[in-house]
Amino acid sequence: MYTIGIDVGGTYTDLVAIDEHGTTVFAKSPSTPADQSVGVMAGLEELARRLKLTREKMLGVTDRIVHGTTVATNALLERKGAKVALLTTEGHRDVIEMREGLKDNRYDLRSPPPPPLVPRERRFGVRERLKANGEIAIPLDDRSLDEAIAAIRRSGANSVAVCFLHSYLNPVHELAAVERLARELPDISISRSSDVLPQIKEYERVSTTIVNAYVRPLVRHYLGNLEQRLTEAGFKGSLFIILSHGGMAPVEEASRLAAGTVLSGPAGGISGARRCADLLGVPDLVPFDMGGTSTDISLISEGRASLSADGTLAGQRIALRSLDIASIAAGGGSIATVDAGGTLRVGPESAGSVPGPACYGNGGSAATVTDANVVLGYLDAGAFMGGARPLDAAAAEAAVDGVAAALDLERIEAAAGIFRMINLKMADGIRLMTLRRGVDPRKFALLSFGGAAGLHAAEVARELELKRIIVPVAASVLSAWGMLTSDLRYEVSRTHYGAAARISNDEARNLFKDLEQQATGRLRAWFGGPMTTERSAEMRYGEQIFEIDVALDGLDWNAASPVDAIEDRFHRRHEELYTYASRDQEVVFVNARVAAIGEVSQRGQDARPTPSAGACAPRGTRQAWFGAWSEVPVYALDDLRPGHALAGPVIIEAETTTVVVDAGDRVTVNALGWLDIALR
Amino acid sequence: MSSKIDPITRSVVQHRLSSIVKEMGEAMLRTTYSQILNSSRDFSLAICDTRARLIAQADHLPVHVGALPWATLVVEDRFKDVAPGDVFLLNDPYHGGSHLPDLTVFVPVFDGQKRLLWTIVRAHFSDIGGATHGAYNPGATEIWQEGLRVPPIRLSEAGRPREDLLDLLALNVRNPREFRGDLAAMLGAANLGERRVAKLFSEFGASVVEAAIEAILDATEQQTRAVVSTWKDGVFLGEAFLDDDGHGRSDIRIAAKVTKKGSDIEVDLSDSDPQSTSFVNSSHANMQAAVAMAFAYLIDAEIPKNTGALRPLKVIAKQGTIVWADPGRPVTLCTSHPSNEIVEAIVKALSASCPDRAMAGWSRRFRIAIQGEDPRTGKNFIWHLFQARPGGGASSGGDGYSSIGEWHSVGGLKFGSLEVAEVRFPLHFRRHEFRENSGGDGKFRGGLGVALDLVLETAKPARGNTAGDGVRYGPCGMLGGKDGVPHDYRLISEGRPPRPLRTKEVGIEIRPGDCLEIRSSGGGGYGPPAERTAEARARDCEQGLVTGDAPAGQGT
Repeated sequence: MYTIGIDVGGTYTDLVAIDEHGTTVFAKSPSTPADQSVGVMAGLEELARRLKLTREKMLGVTDRIVHGTTVATNALLERKGAKVALLTTEGHRDVIEMREGLKDNRYDLRSPPPPPLVPRERRFGVRERLKANGEIAIPLDDRSLDEAIAAIRRSGANSVAVCFLHSYLNPVHELAAVERLARELPDISISRSSDVLPQIKEYERVSTTIVNAYVRPLVRHYLGNLEQRLTEAGFKGSLFIILSHGGMAPVEEASRLAAGTVLSGPAGGISGARRCADLLGVPDLVPFDMGGTSTDISLISEGRASLSADGTLAGQRIALRSLDIASIAAGGGSIATVDAGGTLRVGPESAGSVPGPACYGNGGSAATVTDANVVLGYLDAGAFMGGARPLDAAAAEAAVDGVAAALDLERIEAAAGIFRMINLKMADGIRLMTLRRGVDPRKFALLSFGGAAGLHAAEVARELELKRIIVPVAASVLSAWGMLTSDLRYEVSRTHYGAAARISNDEARNLFKDLEQQATGRLRAWFGGPMTTERSAEMRYGEQIFEIDVALDGLDWNAASPVDAIEDRFHRRHEELYTYASRDQEVVFVNARVAAIGEVSQRGQDARPTPSAGACAPRGTRQAWFGAWSEVPVYALDDLRPGHALAGPVIIEAETTTVVVDAGDRVTVNALGWLDIALR
Repeated sequence: MSSKIDPITRSVVQHRLSSIVKEMGEAMLRTTYSQILNSSRDFSLAICDTRARLIAQADHLPVHVGALPWATLVVEDRFKDVAPGDVFLLNDPYHGGSHLPDLTVFVPVFDGQKRLLWTIVRAHFSDIGGATHGAYNPGATEIWQEGLRVPPIRLSEAGRPREDLLDLLALNVRNPREFRGDLAAMLGAANLGERRVAKLFSEFGASVVEAAIEAILDATEQQTRAVVSTWKDGVFLGEAFLDDDGHGRSDIRIAAKVTKKGSDIEVDLSDSDPQSTSFVNSSHANMQAAVAMAFAYLIDAEIPKNTGALRPLKVIAKQGTIVWADPGRPVTLCTSHPSNEIVEAIVKALSASCPDRAMAGWSRRFRIAIQGEDPRTGKNFIWHLFQARPGGGASSGGDGYSSIGEWHSVGGLKFGSLEVAEVRFPLHFRRHEFRENSGGDGKFRGGLGVALDLVLETAKPARGNTAGDGVRYGPCGMLGGKDGVPHDYRLISEGRPPRPLRTKEVGIEIRPGDCLEIRSSGGGGYGPPAERTAEARARDCEQGLVTGDAPAGQGT
């Protein structure tokens, strides 16, 4: 039997199959943005070919497919989602457009405001109001609801978000409105805030509910389509979707909470990184995923990826808990420019994949990071993508010459400058992330994956004073590979009305017990295997407005005062993050959270390559720039076996990635066949 | 000093310096104690050199940043024996500060025995002693009523904090624990910056960093001059008026005579009205910062905001006027007023020189604080109005932002959740929506203000204080655009006639069940209303931003 992981990226759809012996097979196939399921089915065809099976035969012996999709992500980025209407409390319909009074870019007073996902004419107020304790101040007014529903009908919306003030405490009005909506407009997609995010803070709740309404029809349609194609192709197992929090869920759940799929793609990469940490016994990793237009950075600390509810995507606030991933606008396609003051800048503009870097020969003329890498000799123009897509070195040189002329420098100096600036940018991103998490970056190893990461990993690591870089064999398909080990996860949360008074021990016990029943009950409907739960709380000091996450694993709930213990954990966590705790200050318990986790059976360990006794011979040499030109041996990753050791400078090439190692750095190949690089 | 440094090294050093200030900001945000800092982000960071030149800053509050070189200058003048591990502090507006609630911390960065740079953190404290809570005291007639004055002092000596001085400071504010917590956060951020800059010295060598800094400032100057030289030459006049000073004077004029020649700009504020007896006066550093802020808004957003960008700018003003008060005068309101009016006068003047760049008026600040007892807990509360953000000005780029802020904050002040406010305070936010018809009409419409109906749910009367301006003058229209509709706050109390609130009042009685009808101003419009397209007008109506027959914001 096989388990298959499928990650749909911007350019390629990556697939990994693993059998019960731990043997893995990879395949890549072009993505098909118009209907991603076309590329997925073609990729499955390619995967079957590599397994020497027919697709039907392969799917017939596959019991689980785990899928990361960018359908929701792209809908938000390209503004191609549903036509959404908002039903909200009368007098409060502009919350989404007020954006809490904030705007980006302090000194830019000439750019107009970004249009909200739901324009004002489709935001409708309903006469109703709850008090801050959940009691009804104004009952839901039927006539005003009827008028709003009639207006929604006239507006032509095909999806509606329902969000009333204080509904996180008492959903009675939202439920009544949804019931009426479903009766009057049976074909409309409905997202209810007390279902999507039953938590205090109206901006977060209404924005998240609107995002859900915006992407849900597309996600539902796509997943339904894919499920049908798979069934027709002979698949009888279960299809699971990776969610932004890194766990997976069945299609039905992913369609309900569609806003929870916006980080589905990169979430697989974090699962892969966590699996790497586990296999290596290295608990602290910085996953560094550099692609063509952007670089995703996250942290695995003590073997765990952290979740945060601070997320925004394409300017939209999404307050569902998701993996803490920082996406930096820096990649192989980042464009180098020289401003009027003669300062070199790299990015954030990107040549993307069309036209792409100048060396792609698709009509791009701007100098990009990839062009600089060609000039520096790090990339072999003839061998790019295994020789399937040779690069135009002359075009790269001409593009870099433009930058060199503007800086009054030699071509090679300009290329080295571009290389350096992009590395600085990525190092900054990592430094800020570690600062936010309250950890010292120097104890981490850099986990390099994604097509462009190997070219830059060593210099980025050096900038941060990291001492070690790991390049896993599955580097180019790490997301798909990581999906193979994802667990099922269902999260529930509830706000405790506790800001005015301390939560009591019994309230806390009952709150978590209720949530746990709710979460495990739901998970049980999908899954019969072993289950665990995680409890956590979001808390703050009285006057603060940011809550922090406090893990409650291992807490003794039968002790005399679990609340004392919870508060103690809060103080300690606060001190870890922010260097101080204020034990005499009032502590506010805001949200309780429970995650139910279904542990799927893992396939056997990854098969280990046989070590080689002999030394490895390079495939050749080439000129590369390390402050001066030097003749550098070039190895093929495929030739390297456990036990091999190389001293920099060397270049190691694989079909889809290149790793550059400087003088003084040492590469060893570990028992898994991965590169383990010690920096000088 | 070497005049030639390779452009890559310069670019790298520039990037490093600006990322160091960003990191300091992140550390500050995460470690500050009080709401005004961690929520409203009323703080700023910078790196200056020993010649008090601004080398790098992070985009926090524009009105702080231009003031920091002036503060640095005073520290340099006062202390000639700066040693590694020293920390300096000041707040006094007559010793380099802007107004008393803004405390500024300086940490020197050395390369060996040679002192080269300062890492600087400025933050607004929620209390600084004085006659009223929260420093804004409309009744003050001299600075001693506004709070504790701190000239440049040595807060730490060779790495050891001077606890006696800390005790003295903390004893003079109403919330000593919060004060100490925030001050510790500032020191933490400044020290972080010091460590990172020191590492930069050790990596490149101090002389390379110094040469790079000269090159960075020169390059920024060149970039700025390239922009300014495209503007029309001439002598241009602009003016703006404060509603009043709260002590009986109205229509206080801020006048800007701006001379643009080649790539140079001279701003002369000498013609502005005489100083006031109230807190609407500006300190010298704050006036300089306001002029720099106006200029920064008009050049390109991407140009680094350092001393190089300000080299084309020359500022002339006269002591004893509203923009530069004599020692001893109260000045607490100055970071908002007359800062906003100084900006407005300069932008108006230069609108004839660079019409595509001049934006219509952003709003003025009108704050209100309510103090009372929460009947649910029996505890006292103090609530500050951050909601009902006013509108932003339109520009050649399009319509203005709605619900966004004032000239001095421009979308940098966050208002919190109403749901949380209702849980925390005995307040009911009955309505909080765009204020229709408030944006100034024009080819591009000003952003809308907000209509807030706020009901007090106490058992006993509460008291309110106000501080601000802009109930008579709305944000200015630009190049034929109309002014935005001014602020209009009213107290609706059963059995009494509606009472308009003045902008500088103390001790307003607010009874249980009273409703504050707060209508914040809309931004100014840009370009003649006749040029607004029919589609844009139809869109305004469809969205309900403009209702009835009258076009928006006929102004005053």
